[in-house]
Amino acid sequence: MTELVVREIITETPSIRSIRLESPDGSILPPWQPGSHVDLQLLTRHERQYSLCGDPGDLTSYRIAVRREPRSRGGSHYIHGFLRVGSRVWVRPPRNLFALADAPAYLLLAAGIGITPILSMARHLAAQDADWRMTYATRHRDDIAFADELAALGDSVTTHVSGESGRLDLPALLSALAPGTAVYACGPQAFIDDLTGLAGLLPEGSSIHVERFEPRQREHRPNAPFTVVCTRSDLTVEVPAKRSMLETLQGAGVPVEGSCLRGICGSCALNVLEGEPEHRDSLNGDDQSTTIYPCVSRSLSPTLTVDA
Amino acid sequence: MDISDFPPVDLPSLRSTLGEPGAPTKQKITDFLDDNCLAFLAHSPFCCLSTADSAGNCDCSPRGDYPGFVRALDERTVVIPDRLGNRIADSMTNILDNGHVGLLCFVPGMTETLRINGTATVTNDASLLAMLEQDHAVPDLAIVIRTEQVYLHCGRALLRAGLWDPELQDLANEVPSSGQIWASMSGFAPEVGDDINDAMAGAYRALY
Repeated sequence: MTELVVREIITETPSIRSIRLESPDGSILPPWQPGSHVDLQLLTRHERQYSLCGDPGDLTSYRIAVRREPRSRGGSHYIHGFLRVGSRVWVRPPRNLFALADAPAYLLLAAGIGITPILSMARHLAAQDADWRMTYATRHRDDIAFADELAALGDSVTTHVSGESGRLDLPALLSALAPGTAVYACGPQAFIDDLTGLAGLLPEGSSIHVERFEPRQREHRPNAPFTVVCTRSDLTVEVPAKRSMLETLQGAGVPVEGSCLRGICGSCALNVLEGEPEHRDSLNGDDQSTTIYPCVSRSLSPTLTVDA
Repeated sequence: MDISDFPPVDLPSLRSTLGEPGAPTKQKITDFLDDNCLAFLAHSPFCCLSTADSAGNCDCSPRGDYPGFVRALDERTVVIPDRLGNRIADSMTNILDNGHVGLLCFVPGMTETLRINGTATVTNDASLLAMLEQDHAVPDLAIVIRTEQVYLHCGRALLRAGLWDPELQDLANEVPSSGQIWASMSGFAPEVGDDINDAMAGAYRALY
């Protein structure tokens, strides 16, 4: 991981801080595109994923924004309570699991802290003179982050305060889309679940792309033990019912990295060569995908052969 | 040998030897965690938890995890996740019997330690446990402490010990391995110690 230094912390809303990170020697950082995120590790070793929400054209710094979670598992608790200008953090190079594809028109939907990847998408589409609109929903008016930056993007941006105007009318938004419109959405679980449940309302040729920052809630069959054959490491590993495939592989010395351990960041991806994976991740894959995320996923077949 | 071989001192004699603590020493004791104590806890990966049963039989056990694992929920409430251990659960059974606990928290590299005394309960509150998830594992139980005495203990003990001196890590090489100690204390042959060491190396891979 690469060491970066906190150069600036701005209180954007009562519960959101934005943090600007730079290389200690001021050197240029690896490039990124709208939708990218970094795995960020704190001095306390807590590791979390944050979308980059600054300007991809300025590689002297990265900007992330972090909401203080009332039920924090430690990451946002530390970032809001104890991270300060000058603190060191460590990041892996940006990765993009939420990249903008070419489309004739775009609808961007952000709810709450889901504004972070959407903001950089909006800025990019505005600069490209694309056909785009954006709706940003928050509970309260003072939850709106980056208001000045959004205002600078003009009339394409609508803010919706659900505490004042009620729930955002997603069916109306989707039904009114022009054919082929690509929908990009990021927000809390309930918002994303509502949206993906309405995919039937989309016009022809349209698609929904979502990024989750909490795992999708799903029912799984009970864990069963299975065998993993790792072709490159030439190892056969038994995964017990009580352990994850990732921790078992790591314990056996197979080189595979994990970060979120919740099936949302994609950093532990492995290629399945043989066998039937049981996908339990919250990424955008389908059930037939041969990419497995071993931090949460398991196997339907007794043996799974992976390129690791 | 018996401890009665050594003449005990009484309280007046103890006080006349040591004198009384100074006013500043007493003043630094509060019943809550101020911002500095909260920052100390947020960076502490290790503490020792002292408990006693209602008959006064004492126990002290180490607790360690990611820094900040002893979480302050507010200035009078801290929570300690109960991670995978040996299932003897001395601390928790004591707490069920007698809620008084003492906590001594360390920050690597720092000579002062934070002392927190208070009254504890053991809980399985699901929403609290969810906050204590680490590396995929949600603890089954947690210890919640209401603080009654909080103070920073001076650094002389750790300075004299040289506790954070990297060169002192060589001391560990001079101590029998955990397998040897375990085998001997359990009455097993010394060779069993190697098997125990191997088994522990495997068991230590699963920390959660």
